[in-house]
Amino acid sequence: MENMVVKITQIILSPILALIVGVFFLGLARKIMARIHWRYGPPLIQPVIDMIRLFYQKSVSHGRMFDLGIILSLAGSIVVVLFLPFGQICPLAGSGGLLVILYIMLLAPLGLALSAGQGANPNISIGISRKFILTLGYEAPLLLVLLSVMTHYKTISIMEVVNIQQRTGWSIISFPLFLSGLAYFLILPAILGIRPFDMTSATQEISSGPMVEYGGKYLALTVLEHALVLFISIALFVNLFLGGAGNIVSFFMKMLVVFVLCLCINAVFPRFRIEQAIKYLWKWPTLLAFLGLITTIAIRS
Amino acid sequence: MDRNQITKWLKAPAKMANKYSLHAIYFCTGCGIIEVPPVITARWDAERFGIIPVATPRQANLFLITGYVSVKTLKAIIRTYEQMLEPKYTVGFGSCPINGGMYWDSYNTIKHLDKYIPIDGWIAGCMPRPEAIFIAVTHLWTLIEKGMANGYVRYKENYEFYRKNQEMALGKLDWPALYQINSDSKAVEYE
Amino acid sequence: MNESIKEQLESTFKAVVVNILEDSRIVVDVKKEQVLTVLKFLKDRNFDHLALVSCVDWIEEKEFELVYILTGYMQGEKEYTGQERLHLIVKTRISRQSPQFETVTGIFQNAEPYEREIHELFGVKFEGHKRLTPLFLERDYEIPPFRKDFDTRQYVQDVFDKIPFVENNDK
Repeated sequence: MENMVVKITQIILSPILALIVGVFFLGLARKIMARIHWRYGPPLIQPVIDMIRLFYQKSVSHGRMFDLGIILSLAGSIVVVLFLPFGQICPLAGSGGLLVILYIMLLAPLGLALSAGQGANPNISIGISRKFILTLGYEAPLLLVLLSVMTHYKTISIMEVVNIQQRTGWSIISFPLFLSGLAYFLILPAILGIRPFDMTSATQEISSGPMVEYGGKYLALTVLEHALVLFISIALFVNLFLGGAGNIVSFFMKMLVVFVLCLCINAVFPRFRIEQAIKYLWKWPTLLAFLGLITTIAIRS
Repeated sequence: MDRNQITKWLKAPAKMANKYSLHAIYFCTGCGIIEVPPVITARWDAERFGIIPVATPRQANLFLITGYVSVKTLKAIIRTYEQMLEPKYTVGFGSCPINGGMYWDSYNTIKHLDKYIPIDGWIAGCMPRPEAIFIAVTHLWTLIEKGMANGYVRYKENYEFYRKNQEMALGKLDWPALYQINSDSKAVEYE
Repeated sequence: MNESIKEQLESTFKAVVVNILEDSRIVVDVKKEQVLTVLKFLKDRNFDHLALVSCVDWIEEKEFELVYILTGYMQGEKEYTGQERLHLIVKTRISRQSPQFETVTGIFQNAEPYEREIHELFGVKFEGHKRLTPLFLERDYEIPPFRKDFDTRQYVQDVFDKIPFVENNDK
């Protein structure tokens, strides 16, 4: 009974915690980018202020799917959060693991595409097609990376991966897996949708792409969704390669370090065109991940 | 943030959020737009007041018209304004939207922008310095706090007359009315 | 170089007046029947860039003056360098009462927007032009607005000043 109560509390709390961390990261991103530009920058709670404003604003819907798609996308991200260990908190540790995450992670771009597709703006279709091509680009190396992790630890449970790393050390500094870790870090900007790979929501060329018809509450939901995607992809990296963490604070510190590294990449790089992005993603990260997978299999068997 | 501000946030969160999160869409007409890049980049850094440029009218709530308005541009301005979501604020920048400025007797430039869309505030000058934008923004904060930045409400109330003026300038408009015009001259929103 | 062009033009065509303004600018006054042949002649002699078509309203003489500015980048086989590139300004006069002229889009394709502009702002009709549709203007004007007899101040008073203020108007 007591176990049940703890589990339910965890299920309710962990998405909220993920949202808080994600929104904090959004604010931090704006502040750090401003400081890199030698500006003072907005207050850290600026995304929260924006969100309050957006929720009070009137919003225009473009049809039934426009409402449902964005909720589907948000729900998909929240479900992924439940499968991810956050420190030692993992509400659905026993079931699924990496395979489920692989499937459900696709719901976020899919829902956004379904929803945005209701708008008649041509920028939306350009943005969505770029988003799917980019997803295709990073899914291949991501699959290879996750396969090599699963082969190396002979499990699909992330909790188990974390626990083994707690005993034997981080996998990013162990021999066969550091190739996979490097590959994951190289595709991380593509998963996050930041600067070298922000062609899906490029404000200058396609006026923020799929987001062009979103306003008011819908825009606020997409911002929340983006915050969750930030949380998920960084938390997955920390769990798989940086050894997870025993408690929430050290887990959060590890996420922060990875995120600031990504921000530095965001600050110095210009934007790829979509075919350059695919060329990059299917070359170096895929090569590294493939090499990592082969070495892992060779060592393990 | 002092204690005074916290009580304000608790009393009227919508108003405070509108004040400190002005997402601006800059309408790049004429020469005024050249004053905007220093405002949003490192020299004057508008982002510390929560002002950032956005790409689409759906995401914006501040509309900055920077420079003279030709008849063809007026069409785009009206459509952009009607696509923005309420509450929305408009600011005319430079003397040209105010009374025509140096285009006072031009054959193809409208003189008073507030005949066609409601304007919440003006920044006079030819050209105003970038600091003038910040002065305008602080004035706009005061207006929002007092509930006087109500251009979108006035647009709804007087939609019949605004639409008539727009048709006088542009001929027959090829987009549907934003609000339904009733017989007793009160605007009703379309669902 | 500019002397040789002058000689070539004067020997080939009869009623052509060629003035050399400066080192690099040559004004060629031609009759309106000759314009197309002169432009074709010049295009064959490496003046293959039509930089501008413009129009001047000589209201006292009741004539429009069409101005074609030509230039070229190659001098035979080698490129021009710096100052020595020539600009040919071909001028012709047409009647103001019935402003009609032949299009030069057959020779220089990029004349199309220039001719549309002149048609819109001066009311000159170009025969053979495929797309004489409005370019810049949104309203209809009785007199095309760039003619000298178009009174802009009167027009503004009649049109834009007649539109009333919606609020704060002193009734």
